[in-house]
This record gives sequence, C-alpha cells and structure tokens, in this order.
Amino acid sequence: MNTNTNSVVSARGLTKHYGKSVAVDCISFEIPAGRIIGLIGPNGSGKTTTLKAMLGLIPFQGELKVLGLDPRTQRDKLMKQVSFIADVAVLPRWLRVREAIDFVAGVHPKFDRAKAERYLKNTKLKPAMKVREMSKGMIVQLHLALVMAIDAKLLVLDEPTLGLDILYRKQFYQNLLEDYFDEQKTIIVTTHQVEEIEHILSDLMFIRDGKITLSATMDEISERFIEVMVSAENTDTARALKPIDERQVFGKSVMLFDNLASGTSRQQIEALGETRSPGIADIFVATMKGTYA
Amino acid sequence: MNTMKWLIKREFWEHKGGFFWAPIVFGAIMVLLVMLSLLAMMFGGDKTAQMNGMPLWDFFASMTDLQKADFARISVMSWYGIASTTFSLLYGFTAFFFCLNALFDERKDRSILFWKSLPITDEVTVISKAIFATMVAPAIALGVAIITSVLALLLTCLMLVIKDVGLASTILALPLTYLVPLQWIAALPIYVLWALPTVGWLLMVGAWARSKPLLWAVLIPVLAYGLITWLNKLFQFGWDLAWFQSHIVLRMLFSAVPGSWFKLQPLLIHDDRPELMLSGHALEMLSQSWQLVGTANLWIGVAAGAAMIYAASRIRRWKDEG
Repeated sequence: MNTNTNSVVSARGLTKHYGKSVAVDCISFEIPAGRIIGLIGPNGSGKTTTLKAMLGLIPFQGELKVLGLDPRTQRDKLMKQVSFIADVAVLPRWLRVREAIDFVAGVHPKFDRAKAERYLKNTKLKPAMKVREMSKGMIVQLHLALVMAIDAKLLVLDEPTLGLDILYRKQFYQNLLEDYFDEQKTIIVTTHQVEEIEHILSDLMFIRDGKITLSATMDEISERFIEVMVSAENTDTARALKPIDERQVFGKSVMLFDNLASGTSRQQIEALGETRSPGIADIFVATMKGTYA
Repeated sequence: MNTMKWLIKREFWEHKGGFFWAPIVFGAIMVLLVMLSLLAMMFGGDKTAQMNGMPLWDFFASMTDLQKADFARISVMSWYGIASTTFSLLYGFTAFFFCLNALFDERKDRSILFWKSLPITDEVTVISKAIFATMVAPAIALGVAIITSVLALLLTCLMLVIKDVGLASTILALPLTYLVPLQWIAALPIYVLWALPTVGWLLMVGAWARSKPLLWAVLIPVLAYGLITWLNKLFQFGWDLAWFQSHIVLRMLFSAVPGSWFKLQPLLIHDDRPELMLSGHALEMLSQSWQLVGTANLWIGVAAGAAMIYAASRIRRWKDEG
C-alpha cells in the first residue's frame, strides 16, 4: 500500500496496546477524500480505539496521518478541520440548546448557525431546553444538528444514531448524504445497524480482533460477494468451491461466496443456482463467524 | 481571545448557581438579618440594649463628637470585617469545589468528548477555568459583597436618621466607609496570584483522579505532612514542620480563600489588638496584601500553581477515558 498524499487518513502499522492486550494490531489503510466509509466490527474489535487514535484522543504506536497531520502532535490544528461524535450522547446535562449553539458558533469558525437552527426546527427541541430535560433521542438530535452544521473535511461518527427511533435515523442518514456530504468531505461511520447505512456507503472496512479483515469499495464488494441458492444436485460441487457461509432455507442450501478468497468467478457461481447480492449484514456475519465462539 | 470569552461564558452558564446566585442569596440573607436586628433595636432598643449602664438611645445621644467618631469607625470596621470574612469563606468553599470538579466532572459524564471535538486546545480550556476561578468569579462575589455591605450600612444610617441620634452623618463622613470596598477591589490582583497553588493543585487532581478527587486532594498533602513529621522524629532532622504546614500543606488547600494570606504569610506584621484593627489600621490591610509581592512565598506559589495548571492540561490532553 502506498502512502497517498491525497489521503484523508493514512495509517501504517497503527498499533495500540492496553497493558498486555492488543486493541489495534498493526493495521494499515488509506482513506481517500470524498468517501463515506463504514467501519464495521463487533464490540471490542478495536474500531473505537482506531477512531480515537485518528482523533488524537489516545497515544499509539505506528504511523498515522489525518489530513496530513499527526493527531498526536498536531491535534489542535487538526480539530479545526475534523468534527466527531464519539460513542453516545455526551452533551453536558446543564447545557441549554441556545447556549450550545452560541458556544459552538463562538468557537468554531466553520460553524453555520442558520444550518443548525434549520435542523433543530424539525425537532421538538426549544432554545431554553436543558440537556437534562431531554430524552436520549433529543440529545442525539441536538448533537447531530451541531455537528452537521460544521463544515469539516472529515466527519467521524461513532454509533451516531444510537437511541434514535427509526424515522429519525433514516432522516439523519438522508440529510447526511444530501445536505452535508460532498466530494470534498469524508465521513467515517460505525454502527450496529449496518443495513441502514448500506446504501450511503462508498467503502467498507471490517475490523476484528484489532485487524482489518476486509477493506474494499462497495463496487468491489458487490463484485466479490455473491449469494446463491444452490439446487440439490449442485450442493457438492458448490461446497467444493469453499463458500464462506452456508445456511438452509426451505430445504435448500444458500451459500455465500467470496470470489476473491475462493478464486471463483461470477459466472461459475451463477451456474450453481439462483443468485443475489448479499447485504453487508450477511457478509459481516459470515466473515465474523467464530468471533463469539 | 474570542474563544476565551466563550469558555468563560460557558463556565458561567454551568456554575451560575454557585458563583452568582449563592452570593446573592447569602447577601440577601445578611441584609435581612441586619434589617431584623435594626428593627429590634429601633423598637426594643431602650429596653433590651444597654451601653455604659444607659439605655442605648440615651447613650448615643449623650456621646461627644469624638466618641461618635470612634463609635462609627468601630461599627463600620466590624461590619466590613464580618462581611469580608463570611463572603471570603463562602467564596473559598465554592472555588475549592469548582476547581476540584472542573476537570473531573467532564470526564465522569464524558462530556469531555464533546468539548474535545471542538477546535479548542487543552491549554486554553484549563486556563479558562483558572481565570474563571481567580478573576471572573471573585469579581462577581466581590461585587455582591460590596452591594450587601453598602445596603446594610445605608439601612443602619436610615435607622440612625429616624432615631435622630446624629451618628449617620458621622458614618457617612468617614473615609473608611468608602475606602474599605475600594481596598477589597485593589487587593484582587493579589488574590489572583495567591490562589494559584490551590487552583492548580485542585485542577490537576481533578484531571488525574479516576474517582474520589476530594479524597486525593486532601489526603496527599496531609499524608505528606504526616510522613515528614514521622521522618523528622525518627531521624531528628530538626525540620521546621510549622513552615512546611503553612507554606505547603495549607497553601495547597486554602489559598483560594480570599484574604487567607493574612493567616498563612507569617512575614507580615501581625497586630491583632482590636483597638488597632478598628481604628483605621485596617487600612493597612491593603498595603499588607501588596507586601506579598515582595515575598518568595507568593512567587514560588505562582510558579508551582502555573506548573500544576500546565500539568493539568497535559493530563487532560492524554488521559484515555475508555
């Protein structure tokens, strides 16, 4: 992997230990500008640690550049161009909606007040409301409104919609794509609700036990992964091609193939039966097999 | 500079209760108590209060001008003494817990992750908290203390005018009446410098402690004192333990109380004789305060405080909240 100077994030041998346990195990990756990357992994896989390293919140070993800056030594400069929502709603309980907007408008040169107010109009939040009076969903709405109104080059969202109901979640991702995103920006998002972000992602990264197990564009993913409902007479032939997953539906075998791993081609698989493109969730489950065993 | 303004505002929003409403409520209660005792004196003074074997009002009326001047001076000074002591203790208490929790609570409720998502450096954030505790909040408390004192004095004068004993004009003609509040204001820069060791120590402990910051903040200096006392006994070093106590232990814990330098800086000439205290020598309190500028105690404290504030910002920069 070459270090691309246009990369928004460029990691080489990124490693993070907590005592003796390795949270992130010598990973390398490049994230170019203008992408929306889904970082997917089970709990404790190292995704939050990776994000924290990128945001300069923790020390680490290895090489990591975000927008050409080292998050360890140049965090102050970096934060002018990066915004993030970490984990869950972390707004202080005493803060009022009006104060939050005034404050961010006061300290962030790239904050668009009108935009934040526009987002808030679609919610039940009132200017005098304190965070402690809000439901969990409302807190997230406020936080998202603040962050979406910041014109950052890199936006990092760690489980941004946790605690939001389905209607607002859909709305949020829609806004993110239509209102916020453009080819100058890069968004990194982690979530457990993979199916919800599937359609907005341009890239996918799976992380497991501190290692990246899959890193590809969505086009490559649909090229690589194929699911086939294998007719009974083809079952043995299909199994010989080493599917990464197999399940039974109505007495028939449904197999998931990773063409890259098994060295198969699309045509080969299509000959086995009826095919379809698997969802990220299916691919995730198949590649993470044994994680909890 | 703009960022600093918003950070100070942010502290004010969060701590309006402790640093704005608490002194106001406290001041209001004091004025109320003064009012009640004035009313009691007005309507029952002849029966209950005696001075030199005379009913109170007769005594006032019998005083010579010189006696009146002395009496006015003593009254004004005592009143200012009470107001400054109580407000100082209230402020010191509030400031202690503010500094201790300023960098601890944001970690406990994880809101630090929100503050850190904004383009504000750890240094500026921590300094804003120190500025709030040593300059902005004391100025508010001082303002309230002055208003309270003046209100109480005016009420007293009003009563004296109504009773027509002629003391009101004496009180209002005293330079002290106006000079003491000005002294308080003029001593504020000394407070900023003097408070730094406590402010820095508490900010640092708050940034560092995983839990129970109060315990750590108190335990470490107290245990250190215990250890040194023990070593001193054991090896007969002949160390000056009183010096260690007043220059290290108490400086770390109580410097945020305004005026604590009168107790903790032994170099100052102390004359606690009440007649000196009350007869205008109190004006020397300001010059005594400014004498601190010539002491190593003040400047070493400033350096230690600044170092601990810097350490607090470094800890905030790198502490992983998991």
